[in-house]
Amino acid sequence: MRPNVFRPQSLQEACSLLEEHEEALVYGGGTALQILLKQGILVGSSFIDISGIPGLAEISFTDDFLRVGPMVTLRRMERSEEIRELFSLASSAYAKVANPRVRNTATVGGNIAHGDYRLDPPVALLVLGASVELTSRNSIRKVPLEEFFVDFQVTDISAGEIVTAVEIPRSIHLAGSSFVKLSSLSANDWPSASAAVGLMENDNGVHTLRLALGALAATPVMATVDIRNLNLDQTLEASLSKAMELMDPIADVRGSVKYKLRLGRVAVEEAIRSAWKEVPNGR
Amino acid sequence: MNMVFQINGRDVGIEVSDSELLLDTLRHIGFSSVREGCGVGACGSCTVLVDGKSVSSCLVLTSRCNGSSILTSEGLADDDPVVSQFIKNGAAQCGYCIPGFVMMVSELLSENPIPTEQEIYNHLEGNICRCGSYPEIVQAAMDASKAKQTSKLTC
Repeated sequence: MRPNVFRPQSLQEACSLLEEHEEALVYGGGTALQILLKQGILVGSSFIDISGIPGLAEISFTDDFLRVGPMVTLRRMERSEEIRELFSLASSAYAKVANPRVRNTATVGGNIAHGDYRLDPPVALLVLGASVELTSRNSIRKVPLEEFFVDFQVTDISAGEIVTAVEIPRSIHLAGSSFVKLSSLSANDWPSASAAVGLMENDNGVHTLRLALGALAATPVMATVDIRNLNLDQTLEASLSKAMELMDPIADVRGSVKYKLRLGRVAVEEAIRSAWKEVPNGR
Repeated sequence: MNMVFQINGRDVGIEVSDSELLLDTLRHIGFSSVREGCGVGACGSCTVLVDGKSVSSCLVLTSRCNGSSILTSEGLADDDPVVSQFIKNGAAQCGYCIPGFVMMVSELLSENPIPTEQEIYNHLEGNICRCGSYPEIVQAAMDASKAKQTSKLTC
């Protein structure tokens, strides 16, 4: 069956269409959906193409947040100078997705909504304390990213809801950060393990390490580690033990459970060492 | 739906189905430099520029390009610096993947006129050449960057 494509011109119209057509999927950039169609995993779906709705492809700053519209491409996140300056961790993770062509097509909203456990951007966004705005015909709600990924390929998006923004709080200041992606096949394939690390600092120095992992459990996962008064070696030890609690890898063509656990430790250690170097007065 | 877009500078009006992909549309019209390789956006053989940005045409709905400007390698001039340097460097063996590489290099040089070798690798890492002409392709990209700079100075 050939897919039907609806082309709403307003958010209200898109939400109504989603309510009327329960089986319909929101079409962002379409890179993931087209592959799933070709693989025969998606059959006969209809799509709601939201590219004609004004205002969904904007990057804006409010007093409190960086607000990214769902139709902003991944490549814009990679190349935006403002984002590179304020949230380099986000830029570096977006820059690691697939290849430049896919990043020119794929969108911020679609990427999050895909909900795959191996995606790169969510790992960085978790460390940055991001949230997702979900809009339906009757409501708008904001979900912290930590609660957004529910289970394997399952997100908190309910029937009738559309991702209308990803927001990063401007209050988060990372003294050092790093994203590490390790792949066992080609460099632009899905990772076997990825890790993002952010170091939070106050007048007394670095106090908290925010750690998120990709491809190492059924969803992207995160934890914070209290590193007050810890040196680098102690920080590594505390963080790796926390990471071991989070990891529950799925064996596949990209590696066995044992291999991914090992690679996960390497990714965490590399990310911490690299973030630590960015702290001007590291211990 | 009925749509109008520009292909290599010429207005084209066509009727497309909802599910038609840009790769198929372009090939049906006769742009045979656009080639299917993997069909999942991983090899780069079907690369074209839409409004100056590279895309895998095997993953893009044609209907999404309504009003857009498409550039395929047929739209590049014979003396285009990228094309000329690919020829000069013998940067092709069977040639199947080369139009895709040419379009990626064209995009890179428009964004970043003097890329480092590493930046060239980063931009081309999602393009696959089964003949393994990578050294010649990277050299052609570097030479095209130089040629463009020189032509700018002499203008």
